[in-house]
Amino acid sequence: MNHKKKQNLENLLLLFFLIIAILVPLIFGSNQYNILLVTTVLIYGVMATSWNIIGGLAGQVDLASFAYLGLGAFTSGTLLIRFNLTPWIGMILGGLVAVAFALLIGIPLFRFRIKEVWYALTTCALVEILKVVFNMWEEIGGPVERYLPYFSGSVYHMRFGSYVPYYYLILGMLVIALLVNSRIAHSKLGFYLKALGEDETAAEVLGVNTRACKLRALVYYSFLIGVTGAIYANIYGFIHPSFFNGQESIKIAILGIVGGRGITYGPLLAALLLVGTQELLRASLGGEVSGLYLVIYSVILILVVLFKPRGIATFFQYRNKKPVKQEVKKKNVV
Amino acid sequence: MLSEQILKTSKLTKRFGNLIAVDQVDLEIKKEEIIGLIGPNGAGKTTFFNLITGLETPDEGQVIFKGTDITTMSPHAICKLGMSRTFQVAKSFTEMSVEEAIRVGAYNRRGEEEVQTKVDWALEFFELEDIRDYKCSDLGLSSLRKVEVARAAATEPELLLLDEVGAGLTAAELLKLMSELKRLNEETKITLCIVEHVMQMVMGLCERIFVLDAGELIAKGIPSEISNNQRVIEAYLGRRSYSESSSTG
Amino acid sequence: MEVIIQSLFDGALMGCIYALIALGLSLIFGVMNVVNFAHGNFVMLSMYFSFWAGSLWGIDAVLTPLITFPLLFVIGMLVYYGIIDRTLQEHYTIQIAVTVGLMTFLGAITQLAWKAQPRALSYSFIQGNIQFGGYTIALSRLISAIISLIIIISISFFLSKTWPGRTIRATSDDSDAASLMGVDFRKTYALAFGLGSSLTAISGGLLMTFQQVDPTMGLRFGLLSWCILALAGLGSIPGLLISGLIIGIGESLAMSFWDPRARSLVIYLIFILVLWLRPRGLFGRK
Repeated sequence: MNHKKKQNLENLLLLFFLIIAILVPLIFGSNQYNILLVTTVLIYGVMATSWNIIGGLAGQVDLASFAYLGLGAFTSGTLLIRFNLTPWIGMILGGLVAVAFALLIGIPLFRFRIKEVWYALTTCALVEILKVVFNMWEEIGGPVERYLPYFSGSVYHMRFGSYVPYYYLILGMLVIALLVNSRIAHSKLGFYLKALGEDETAAEVLGVNTRACKLRALVYYSFLIGVTGAIYANIYGFIHPSFFNGQESIKIAILGIVGGRGITYGPLLAALLLVGTQELLRASLGGEVSGLYLVIYSVILILVVLFKPRGIATFFQYRNKKPVKQEVKKKNVV
Repeated sequence: MLSEQILKTSKLTKRFGNLIAVDQVDLEIKKEEIIGLIGPNGAGKTTFFNLITGLETPDEGQVIFKGTDITTMSPHAICKLGMSRTFQVAKSFTEMSVEEAIRVGAYNRRGEEEVQTKVDWALEFFELEDIRDYKCSDLGLSSLRKVEVARAAATEPELLLLDEVGAGLTAAELLKLMSELKRLNEETKITLCIVEHVMQMVMGLCERIFVLDAGELIAKGIPSEISNNQRVIEAYLGRRSYSESSSTG
Repeated sequence: MEVIIQSLFDGALMGCIYALIALGLSLIFGVMNVVNFAHGNFVMLSMYFSFWAGSLWGIDAVLTPLITFPLLFVIGMLVYYGIIDRTLQEHYTIQIAVTVGLMTFLGAITQLAWKAQPRALSYSFIQGNIQFGGYTIALSRLISAIISLIIIISISFFLSKTWPGRTIRATSDDSDAASLMGVDFRKTYALAFGLGSSLTAISGGLLMTFQQVDPTMGLRFGLLSWCILALAGLGSIPGLLISGLIIGIGESLAMSFWDPRARSLVIYLIFILVLWLRPRGLFGRK
């Protein structure tokens, strides 16, 4: 029915995008700078899409995405540096560590009746806490970058001579993130999350264990980001407390909200548009752009939230909705 | 005719600061009954509902549902056990369609394979099929009410609490709703407890009625007893009440 | 031992100033349930404005609130009518999103305008130290704390004894009932928002007498205020003050005994602990 039609349209769009994405590195050939650029855009895409699980589907404004990224990076990176553990395993462990921290704040804060704002604030605090802790923690972190061992072209160490394999890795993560989003959205969990996002009380009395549902969403989200963090570390070749970046975490949330909360491809769309143009501008105009672009980000967020609160992806959605309103009121005559 | 108890509250009490919202209320409901809970505005009826559905914790007293003490149970666990409710101010899932909203309720007992069947049943039973794809935020009042009831009924409860579902409906809509509720009770054997101000609905549907005033239970009995009850009439003094023998008093 | 007491003094003094900052937020959140993520940035903004006034016209930092207070009040009202008012009926994520956007905006603007290096004003006339039983107390901090206390008490008085203040309290308790009694709750909200924001101007000016300002301080003050609010719960001004003192002392002790870098860490950890164990706060009414 309407449900199926929406699903098919989404799948088609995604397929189209995937085909283009796969071909992109071939277009750029050996231009490493450009490959890194698009990889960066895709990383934001992965993070924003993962954010959608907690922020869009579950309706919790999470501002800690880079906390989980950093945790994944440090876990995998440290294990590689100290124990020569391959990041292919390290990234799973990184994801698990991220989940552990996420649950640490999720379990107390997702209790029924606690206002959502406290969760948002706590996630802010989490990033800051981790930044300071890893800065002070000399053995694992410290103020200087810790470089991952350099083995060019070693698959075991996830170090490649070019950025291209990383690009495909991230693309793979993106596909996974999109699939997870889609599966959840059309499942019982997805309906439950949507319901509690609309009205938590009503959802509870209808049998929705709101706390458990939010925690499940949180686990999916933090795990995905943690794994991405491990890859992230390998792309840049080092780990550093600056990974725990509050401003960038907010940016991810902005992408998720602007793109369209709850719409699977919405945040990806926002990432492609906003981060894409930012990176392109940075390439031509230099570092000054970041400060100015942040202003643009925030203004866009405010405008979108005020005037198109469901996000820019809703421009595509309206084709599916039936004309409503007047008709229904007449049907009440019995 | 089963006379088994499905819900029992004993000495249920709730205070908000100095205000006693629910005062030592003892109430029993038997299976498959249709019970009415009436009282003037502010009598504590909605608070009472909140207490038995787990949205508020009582300061004193107990709630026993199907033999289990649910006094401190969480709302979703109570729903799993078999109690569901609607809200006085409709808490609709504004961005969801009618069908999706009902689906949320249906997932309470059904897995992915069977849930659609339950949704279809609810849509058909409450005559919502024509508007199944409409967004809840676009619905008129009586449709909204029916969706609230359908949603709660889809959880397959044994006890369904309805909070002022009759308010603001036209006479025709009211009759329709009443007949649907009666059918619901007869066909699915769901026990109903309705809080109402619309006396027509109360007197027409309910087998027994409890009356609250200022948190206290002041009367209980069959409709004819209640409409002649002195205390009840006094509590409602100044308000419209459905009573043929209103000359008493 | 002496170090502890010195830390206690310093911490308590800072705590008074922090309490004032939190008071502004409490007005806004307590009254209209609006989560202003940008509150800390208002503090930072007022500090920058004080810096401007100070360096452009040579006004002493302590006196800058005379200019910045009305300025922030106007800005607060504008923000309310322009942004906040529209989101009152919306989903809570919208409210959070919009103030997060505001926070980011203010942070980015100040970074562009004043660049990343910290700014400070030349010495205020309340500079200097006084000796008190063997301990050193910076005069600027002492006076700032006293002024903060005076303001806090005045606001408390304002809320309970004056008409505008009582309408604010009434509206926060029950906006429907209040509007039935003729109170235009939106005007009241605007007033509360303006007042809450302008209080930051006083704290800002005071802070500039002994601190510097940089674009990252917005988040720090923001989280600080929320932490004090969480600790105190809603509805009690004395509670707010006590929480402010706890936070100030906690921060100070952390800096003396643990690590200067850990100053905010302690605050955030207290924050999480409070939300875990006692979400209603120590003195909460709601």
